[in-house]
Amino acid sequence: MRMSLAQRVLLTWLFTLLFLIMLVLKLDEKAPWNWFLIFIPVWIFDTILLVMLIVKMAGRCKSGYDPRNGSQNVKKKAWYLIAMLLKLAFCLALCAKLQQFTEMKLVYVFIPLWALLMGGMIELGYNIFYVRRD
Amino acid sequence: MLFSLRELVQWLGFATFEIFLHVLALLVFSVLLVLKVDSGGAELSWWKVFIPFFAADGLSTYFTTIVSVRLFQDGEKRLAVLRLFWILTILSLKFVFEMLLCQKLVEQTRELWYGLIMSPVFILLQLLMIRACRVN
Repeated sequence: MRMSLAQRVLLTWLFTLLFLIMLVLKLDEKAPWNWFLIFIPVWIFDTILLVMLIVKMAGRCKSGYDPRNGSQNVKKKAWYLIAMLLKLAFCLALCAKLQQFTEMKLVYVFIPLWALLMGGMIELGYNIFYVRRD
Repeated sequence: MLFSLRELVQWLGFATFEIFLHVLALLVFSVLLVLKVDSGGAELSWWKVFIPFFAADGLSTYFTTIVSVRLFQDGEKRLAVLRLFWILTILSLKFVFEMLLCQKLVEQTRELWYGLIMSPVFILLQLLMIRACRVN
């Protein structure tokens, strides 16, 4: 189940566009919807990504899979899974905050995002400085 | 995850270092935003909160100019001009969006509606889609 680049770009583009349109409608007070409804494109997109990731990881459990050729790969997949969950946690907390379900400070909402960004920066930094030196 | 880093670099046209710079700007911006909102917003103005984004845009422009000049000197004139043109378009659209958003947050005027503020982002999305077709 490997999608081509065009399919992946189209998927991302479509959901981003839908989300932005709904966000603008909400912010301009044209649509009196719940914040959780506004984030529906984000939820669908995240679910698709999570399912794809889990299916790929579950593929390792098939019989006949040689575990020697992918210990690095598993670490990467695990990091992606954590990153997705962090993003989901951030979006859920943000929705709860915007909908005023809880009276928490904004710091707690942003902690998952910061963890995600730090992780992303470490990966990017590794790609910039370490890989190039080889 | 969905895209590899190589595909992202190809699609967006930014170098890895520039992507790193923009992610760093987002991180610093979110910290400033939290400081601004949680403290009641007395001492930190919205323009100061947006400084990381403006700084990242400036640095990215500088970096792109240098890369384009080097490419031009190496004889890759077409590539240099195309790269400069593409990155400047993207960065200026991003900059306009940030300026409008910041102005809206500072002044809270009714004339500046969010559809208008988001319009550079919608243009950006269409451009990215077109570029994705070309990269393929």
